[in-house]
Order: sequence, then C-alpha cells, then structure tokens
Amino acid sequence: MLTCDDYLTPTTLAAAFDAIERNAGRHRLIAGGTDLLSWAREGRAGDVHVPVLIDVTRIPELCERRVGAERVRFGAATPIARFLDDRALAAAVPSMAFSADWFACGQIREQATVGGNLVNASPAGDAIPPLLAQSAEVELAARVDGEIRLRRLPLSDFLVSSGRTRLGENEILTAIECDALPGRGAAYEKVGHRRSLVISVVCLAVVVELDASRRRFADVRLALGGVGPVARRLHAVEDFLKGGPIDRERLEAAAEMPLDFVQSRSRRAYRREVVRGFVVRGLVNALKRADVADGVVEPELEAVYA
Amino acid sequence: MARKRGRGMAAGWYGIARTAAVDRAGAWVEIDDGGTVKVVTGVTEIGEGILTVLAQIAAEEIGVRPQDVTLGDNDTARAPEAAHAGATRQTYMVGNTVALAARDARDRLVEAIAEQWQVAPERIVTADGMVSVEGESRSMTMGEAVHLCKTHGVVPLGAASFGTDTTGLDPIDGSGRPWQAYVFGCQVAEVEVDTVTGEVRVLGIWAAHDVGRAINPQGVEGQIEGAVAQALGQALMEDYVQVEGRTTTPGFARYILPTSVDMPMVNVEIVEVPDPIGPLGVKGIGEPAMVATVPAVMNAIYDAVGVRITSLPASPEKILALLGAKDETSRVAPVGV
Amino acid sequence: MPDLQITATVNGREVTRAVKPWHRLLDFLREDLGLTGTKEGCGAGECGTCSVFVDGVLIKSCLMPVAKAQGTRIDTVEALGRRQFTAVQKAFKKAGASQCGFCIPGMVMAATAALRDSPRADREEIRERLGGNICRCTGYQKIVDAIELARDVLLGLKPESVFDEETTADGHYTGRNVGRIDAPSKVTGALKYAGDMVMPGMLHAQVLRSPHAHARILSIDTSAAKAMPGVEAVVTCDDVPGVDNYGVFVSDQPVLARGKVRFVGDAVAAVAAVDLVTARRALAAIRVDYEPLPAVFSAEEARRPGAPVVHDYAPNNVTKHIPVRVGDVEKGFAESDLIVERVYETQPVEHAYLEPEAGLAYVDPDDVVTIWSPSQNITHHRHMLARILARPINKVRMIMSPVGGGFGGKEDMIYQGILALLAIETKQPVRLVFTREESMAVSAKRHPSRTRLKMGVTRDGLIRAVEYEMVCDGGAYGLSTEGVMRKAAILGAGPYRVPNLKLDTWGIYTNNTPSGAFRSFGGLQAQFATESHLDVVAEMLGLDPFEIRRINAMRVGTATHTKQELKSASLLEVLEAAAKASGWDTGAPTSRGAVRGDLFGPGNRVPLAPGSRVDLRMPAEAGEVK
Repeated sequence: MLTCDDYLTPTTLAAAFDAIERNAGRHRLIAGGTDLLSWAREGRAGDVHVPVLIDVTRIPELCERRVGAERVRFGAATPIARFLDDRALAAAVPSMAFSADWFACGQIREQATVGGNLVNASPAGDAIPPLLAQSAEVELAARVDGEIRLRRLPLSDFLVSSGRTRLGENEILTAIECDALPGRGAAYEKVGHRRSLVISVVCLAVVVELDASRRRFADVRLALGGVGPVARRLHAVEDFLKGGPIDRERLEAAAEMPLDFVQSRSRRAYRREVVRGFVVRGLVNALKRADVADGVVEPELEAVYA
Repeated sequence: MARKRGRGMAAGWYGIARTAAVDRAGAWVEIDDGGTVKVVTGVTEIGEGILTVLAQIAAEEIGVRPQDVTLGDNDTARAPEAAHAGATRQTYMVGNTVALAARDARDRLVEAIAEQWQVAPERIVTADGMVSVEGESRSMTMGEAVHLCKTHGVVPLGAASFGTDTTGLDPIDGSGRPWQAYVFGCQVAEVEVDTVTGEVRVLGIWAAHDVGRAINPQGVEGQIEGAVAQALGQALMEDYVQVEGRTTTPGFARYILPTSVDMPMVNVEIVEVPDPIGPLGVKGIGEPAMVATVPAVMNAIYDAVGVRITSLPASPEKILALLGAKDETSRVAPVGV
Repeated sequence: MPDLQITATVNGREVTRAVKPWHRLLDFLREDLGLTGTKEGCGAGECGTCSVFVDGVLIKSCLMPVAKAQGTRIDTVEALGRRQFTAVQKAFKKAGASQCGFCIPGMVMAATAALRDSPRADREEIRERLGGNICRCTGYQKIVDAIELARDVLLGLKPESVFDEETTADGHYTGRNVGRIDAPSKVTGALKYAGDMVMPGMLHAQVLRSPHAHARILSIDTSAAKAMPGVEAVVTCDDVPGVDNYGVFVSDQPVLARGKVRFVGDAVAAVAAVDLVTARRALAAIRVDYEPLPAVFSAEEARRPGAPVVHDYAPNNVTKHIPVRVGDVEKGFAESDLIVERVYETQPVEHAYLEPEAGLAYVDPDDVVTIWSPSQNITHHRHMLARILARPINKVRMIMSPVGGGFGGKEDMIYQGILALLAIETKQPVRLVFTREESMAVSAKRHPSRTRLKMGVTRDGLIRAVEYEMVCDGGAYGLSTEGVMRKAAILGAGPYRVPNLKLDTWGIYTNNTPSGAFRSFGGLQAQFATESHLDVVAEMLGLDPFEIRRINAMRVGTATHTKQELKSASLLEVLEAAAKASGWDTGAPTSRGAVRGDLFGPGNRVPLAPGSRVDLRMPAEAGEVK
C-alpha cells in the first residue's frame, strides 16, 4: 500500500515548485495516480511510503489544450479519454484516438493522464507510439534561482529506457506538443492477452497521408512499442515506403525491416512475427481510412493480413 | 482472411455429490404463523442461487409462494448440517432434503386439518397459500390452517435427511460406486483465429447439458454461462506462473481473466432426464458445465487453422509458433493422405 | 501526520471528514463513510468492483487518492434507487444478472454509465463499455441481457412491466424462472460481505508470510512487534492450544508454519493491531531466521529418487495415487487397428473470485469461538478448528458470511485458524481481509497436470483399450488433492465404454503454491485430454466427432470404469441436442474450417472491430457538439 505524510494539491506552477523545493528529495509527483497506486502493492513495489505527494493535475498549464493548424499542444494532465471525446483533439491526433480506444478501460482513461503515461516510460505504454508518430515534443519546467524555465525535448530523446526518462528530479512535465495531422489515415494495432484492459505485447501506431493520386504515400509514419526498452519511430521503414508505389511486395518488404528492433528477451520469436504482420495490417487499415484509391490495397493482401 | 473460423465439439460427464463417500444433508421445516415457512438447513449459497431453488421447492411442496419462505442462515450453532457447497451437490442433496422435510411438515398440517374437516388427508390440497379440499368449496388460508393446528396442539414441523448409497474405491482396481447420479454434457464451439497475432476469439458456444430437472431454468443457464467463461479463461489466457516457487502473476494486471469483450454468445440447451433415485428428479450443473468447453475450443482451433494445442492455455504465442512450424512442414512436404 | 480535510457531496449530501492523506477515494467511502456497497476486489484498477461516479464520470475509486475528491460530487451504488430501484437495477434482478453479487454494485454502476453515455448502445457496444469490470460468475451474458432490457425500457421500446416477476396461480414454482431472492440486496450493494463487517473494538489482522519456497525456521522473534503501540497480539505456532495438523483428506498442515515453511506465502506469524497500517508495520518488525532448504518445483522432479522431501510422512512426495483397472490393456491394444498416444498438459489456474478471503472472529460471552467467513464448508471447518483449538465442537461456531465467489477456492481452510488464535489471544473482535495479491499467492490453484494418453481403436471407431497416466502438482500441502485425483481417475477415460483400461492418477507434493478444490475438480484436466484425443483419433479414422462419441457412448446399464452399472445415462441425448442446436455440419475433424457449411450462423457474436468506435470527424462535420 502507498502511504504518505502529506498530500499537496498546488493550483499554480509556482506553488508546485514551492512544494517541490520545500520537500526536495522527500516528494514524488502524482498525476492520475493509476500507475502509482497499482505499483505500490505486493508483487511489485510492496508497501511504499512517500513523505510528500504533490498532485499536479490542478495546475492550469498542465490542463490546457490548443489545436492549431500545424501543431497541437495539450497539458500533461490531459486524461487519455479526451483523445476520444474532444473531437478537435481526436481529429488532430488520430493515432492517439485509435490508441486511446485500446487504452486500459473507459474508467481508467478518465483517470490516467497522457503525461503520466510518458513519465512512467513503460516499454508498453500505449500513449507513446502514437505521439512518436506525430513527432511529439515534451515541455519540461524547472525553477532555477526563483525563475521558472522551460525546456523542450523531442519525445524520442526524453525516453531513455524502461522506466527512465530525462525528467530532472525537480522538473515537471507540463505539456506535450505534436504535429496536427487532421484528415490522415491512422491505425493502432495492439495485441495482449485479451482485448480490454491489458498490457501490450506489441503495439504499432501508423499515420498515413496519400498524394493527389491516392495511390502513393505523401507521408507515412510508424512507431513501434512493446518490443524493447523504449518505443521507437521507424524512420527507415517510412523512407522506404515513401520512395515507391503501394503494393504488396513493398509493404511486405517494409514489414521485414523493423524485426531486429525486437529486443525483448521474452516471446521474441512471437513478437517478431507479430511486428511483421502488424506493419502490413496497420498500413492497410490506415490506408483504407485515408480513402486510398480502389484496387491499391489488393484483396489478396487484405486476405492475408487484415 | 487473416481471421480463420472453425468449429469443434466435445462431450463430458460428471458425478453428483461427494465422491466415493457417503453424502448426507439435513433440514428442518416449520410452517409458521401467517402461513409463512421457515426452512433451516446448513446450506451454503455461493452465488449459484441455491437459496432461490430451495424456496421454490419448499413453496411448491407445502403450497405457499416462494416469497413466503424464509431460509435460515448457515450457522453451525443454529442449523442442521447440510455439508459443503461443492461437488455440484446442493440442488441434489439439499434440494431433495428440503423437499422431504417440507413434505414431512405438510403431512403434519394436513393430518390436523383433515381431522378438523373430517376428510381423508389425501383430499387436502395446498397451493399458493390456500388450503382446500379437492372437489369442494371449503378452504382457508395457510395462516388460518397454522393457527388451527396450533389451537389443537399441533406444530407443523418437519425434518428430514437425504443420503447417498455410495462406496469408496477399491485400492487395487478402483472399482466402486462413487456416485448415485451421473450427468452428461456436450458443447460445440465456434472460434476465429487471427493468423497475424495468434489470438483466438470464441464467438459462439452451444451447450447441451442434462440437469435431471431444472428447478430454475434461468439459474441453470447462469451456471452454464459462467462455467463457459471460466473454462474459456483456462483455454485461452489464464496462467498462474511461478518461477522457483514465486509467482510472476501476482495480481489481475498479469493474471488475465476474461472480460465481457472476450466472452462468446452462449446458447444453452437444457436436457432433462430425471434422476431415478431422488424425490425431485434433480441432478446438478455447477461443475459439469465446465468440462466440455476447453476441448471443444481446442478442437475448433484445429478445425480453423490445423494446429493442435495439447498444452494449455492456447496463448497467441503458442498458436503462432505452431502455425509457423506447420508452414515449415508443409513447405517441405505438402500434406497428403 | 496532518489529516486532510475533505469536503464532498456524496450521494446528494455534503460531508466533511478529516481523513488520512494517503486514503484512496475507496477508503474514504468504505471506512470514513461506511458506504460498503463499493467493494475492493483488487486494489489495482483491474476489476471494477469499486467503480463510482465522480462529477458524473465513472472511475475506479481504488486508483483515486481521496484528495482528488475534494469539492466533487460523488455518487455510489447506494445513491441509485434509494426509494425505487432504477431501471438498471430492476433489469439486473429480472434477468438473473447477479450470482455471488460481489461485482454487481460496480457492474450496476458501469451499466448505468454505459446507458447514460450511449443510450442506444447495442449488445456489442455494451460489452465494450463493460470492459473494465470483471465478473467471475455469470459469463456476463445475463448482465448484458439486463442492460439491453433496461435500455429498451428507458428508450420506451418496452413497457416497465417487463421487469415484473412472472405470476402463476397454479401452485407450481419449480421449473420456473422465479427471481433470485437475494437479488435486491446485491443490486443495491446492501449485502454485507465479511470484509464489510465491523464490530465495536474491532482489530485488524495481517499475516507474515514466507519469502522462501522451502526453509527451516530457526527462530521467530516477535518481541519488537509486540512492543509496538497499537499492536494487541502477535501469534505463531506456539500459540496453538490443540492438535496443530489439519486437512480435508490428510492432516499435513499447521495453522502457522511449524519448524519449516513449504511455499512462498506460507503463513508464519500473525498480528492483530488497532489499524491496518500498524498491523503491516508490525509484520516488518518480526524477525524470522530461516535456513533455506533445497526445494522442488515440478511434479516430475519431485517424483525422482533423491528429490527434496516436502513432508516427512511422504518420503516419495506422493500425496495420493489412484489406480483404475479394467480388463487387459495389452490384449486390447493387440485387438486395435489404430493406436494413438499423445501428452496433454494443463496449467495452474486461480479461482479469482472477486471477493478476496476475509473473516471476522470473536469469542462470545459464552466462550464460543465464533468465526464469520465466506467458507464453502463451515461444517468441516468447525470439526478441524475444534481439534486445533482443543475445544468441544459446540464451543466453535462457524457462520457463513455471504460468499463473493468460491468455485472451490473457499473450501480449504487457510486463514480461519489464524483468526481464531488472534480472537482468543486478544479477547476482541479481529478482522482479516486479504489483498488480491495475498489471495493470489496463497490460495489453492487448479492442479496443473500432465497426462499421457494411449488409445487403441478398431477401424470402425470402437475403443478397445486406454492407457492413461495423469501426474498433478499438488503443491506444498495436501488440501483436496486426494479428492481431485480420485475424481480425475473415475472420470478420466470419459463417458465411453472402454473394455480394457489401465489408468493412474498421481498427486505429488512440491514447493509450489498448493493446488486444491476448483470447480470441476480434476474432471476438467482429465477430460481435456480424452476429448482432444478422440478428435485426433476421429480424424485418422475419417469419423465425425459426434459419431465416434456415439459409437462408444455409455448408456443405461453400461458399467462405468469403476464397474458401477449406470441407472441413468444421457450422453446420447446431449450429443443430439448439441448437434441440433448448433446446426453441426457433419464431417471428420480434418481442419475443414475453410469449407464447412455451419459457420457465421445465429448464436454467434459479431464483435466490433477495434477502432470502430473512434470518430475523427471535426466538430462541424459531426453535426453535434456534446
């Protein structure tokens, strides 16, 4: 069980830093709490005592959402559910919308925050691949000599390894910015041991844009999770796909490319096999949602992968 | 299609009540003031609905309504022994016991009323809280009947026990009579196997089970549906893993149970072949309903994609590995025969 | 440690309480406000028994720190239908959607949320919306039926009268869907399970458990724990007054480890304290010196000569062997046209009842040790406890509290003895509630099994001989292993005529979590092998799977494998019923899914594709803004 001596809920960023400075080394930040409370249990961390918990979900900077033409900005305390029911947000971050549909369950989606999922840095975190695919940056705030300073990092740099990020001890993840990609075709492929409320064994986010012919990629983005210490963007696969026509041969060739990214020791052969299938399936699903021209996705391809 | 369908079936059998040991249960019944009925027995409701079943049995046997029946709590200091909730025994053992005890109580009441009315006891009819004489207009409420009994010094009390005629097993060849009632069941499963992920989805189960006699058909369905869910968990996802004696599946995040999203439609066919021994003809359903599901699903997976799972659970990983091995084999030598 | 001052509107009334800062919303509701309709099934957000509305949004209260509830509006199951049941509650009652009832308050909340958020949700969408709530009893079917019924009434498609109980006036109540008499207490959350019960002066118990799979206990020092303020008692095996050795079939288990521990999680000592946190801290203050012993983790290893011995009375680690012999298998195989041999394995499985083990014990004024617990077998527990406590049977009283799911897992007595010792020691009421993790680690599992099955059949499908050996890992204590082996042995060869049979089942001690009683008790493992095997054989013979079973079916008058004449046998009837209901397309089981004619019919689900509920239309296009 998780116990604490004090639970603070600052309502401004300044107050949050006051609390951090007052309790430096004795505190821990908490957002939705869904990971922290389930972590402090037998079989995981066991009984944990944190002297001071500082709740960041009532700080305005962590709750805002702004959808622009090029970039989308959302506070770190944005609950996962908003990526499904805030229509402007869902449209602009389509890969997150499909991922959110798979994320835990409806209730936890209301409690868990996107920032919490990133800071938790689970190799299987379901918010990570979609945001990598949408070229997300994280905004980190620190107070140095009484002044709040912000720094930005690409999400891919922020994530170091399983459970580790570049978040400094006295820093707060305030917001995430990513590309606004409305109208794109997107997909999120995931497999676990059941359908609902389950940890990903493999997950893949896909976002595609077609050119005017609707037969070639104008843009294609893939990010893979669950198979190594950190989720990663598949740039080489993207470049390969952008360089040619969309046909079975090329999609299957693309699917071979990321197999060596499967580093997990457990279920390695299985994960490789699923990654291969997911790349094609994810692309097919995203292409269909992007309204690809008839006949481009061959029936035979769908028959094998979809 | 990457998602391939198939069907499989399996059957099974099961014994009712304690195994290879004499089973017994006791109950007391009192037809109480106001025409209500008190049933006291050490029954153990574990969610299967046995209390409702006993209320139905007592109501019908005595001639009141189920809502007139009060069931005593399971308390070793207050109720006669009815033994445990297990072995699919409660409807059979406690149900039959309560029926016999209810008949005993009713006999006391009917005898007293028959004497008052100067008619043969066989002509007294009790139903829905009324006591009457067959073919005549004379009648009174059960409450009035109880009052009349007590006025004449009769308390309509009944007691009964029900036991089984069973034996242990011979230690050399196992021969013996472990149960006096056996049930049989058969299930068909329809599954869809995702050949990209190895996931199996069970879409339909057709479950035919002999229950002897269904006291509460909705309750029987509930038992079968629940049994299918548990068996499906065992078939596809549940696995308590230990490494050097320490579990790596310490909670529900790692120990995966079926949710509503995983469950098939369960189509229940209740078959009633009455038990020839007990007074009610009932048998049981709690455990037997689980037996056929797992092999039916494995047989269906084989039907869909040609892989035979012999080690449970049929996890996505195992399915995909066997599918891969099968492809290898067929590349080497196309399957003939 | 400053308490937090929390003000919230709970079920329509504003309440203010000083609460512990670490309390979860669940603790606030259950402990501070006594609203026990909200349950704790797992404490980790995985089961949904604690679902409540916060500002109209359904959440899991075990994952919400209470501080987050400051100033919110909270609605629990107690708020629903306070005067009159809601449509959802009526529908749950009508459809028979509650069984043990422990998940039902959370399920009713989830159903209410589903229909609020999506009043026209179809069956498949309802399933998706319940995806965060586990039920272990019902298979969800009647729950989904209930929600569809409530939806139709709320939409005006069906009259309210569909909720009414069927009325009859013919005096017959058996064979009819009489509504469950316990449904009202379950759909409202009013029913008190053991973990919901409180008594004045009640203490909280916790159990210290072994970190070793197999170790000798050199010493236990409880002095520091006993000295802690708020600790009322610490007990070990030294505090057992009677015969400290019990079990259903074989007496091999102490109430608290005596001399050695045999699995990770074996109970070593127990504490009763004024609150849970003190009790847990006291556990950490108990010093136990262990000398680790070689351990054995599989039945195969445990059967080898020289393997570590788990119990001295069983030097070969055999808990029970059951043989069944009929005819002469060698002769039977010689008469067979086809002999097929395979190995089948099953895994250990957890009962996963939603109610973790719990109990409340006290010594009453007449010196009767009284224990409330969700026991599936109070009679036998009473007998065992009387012996353990050295008391006459009538000085031990077991009362069954409502059982929040059992499935056999609450048949074996694994904590009632500890509660009794603490109640005797403290003379105060003591309550013990397992965490989910504790329940998982120490409660019995379904026996994992390995079965070698060899079957000989004639060309036309008649079984001539079966050789069958099943070996099961019974874990560290006997519990129900003997009974499970017996049932597996009697049923293992299936409901078929087998003229020549050599069958053996073996239950073996290891240092794994004990295996015990679990719904279908050996029948499931044993018949998984036989029923899989029959399909393998049927394929080789080109026989329809129903046909091979019909050919060999036991009938009235058939002698079973234990040579008992069947007085009633209905295998042919159920085969016929299942084939007919499913519209089975006859044919040998040759992996013919691609060509069979009976697929995709009625009686199947048509699940939603993942992502089909995602709507990416911009607000303007969507035409409606919520």
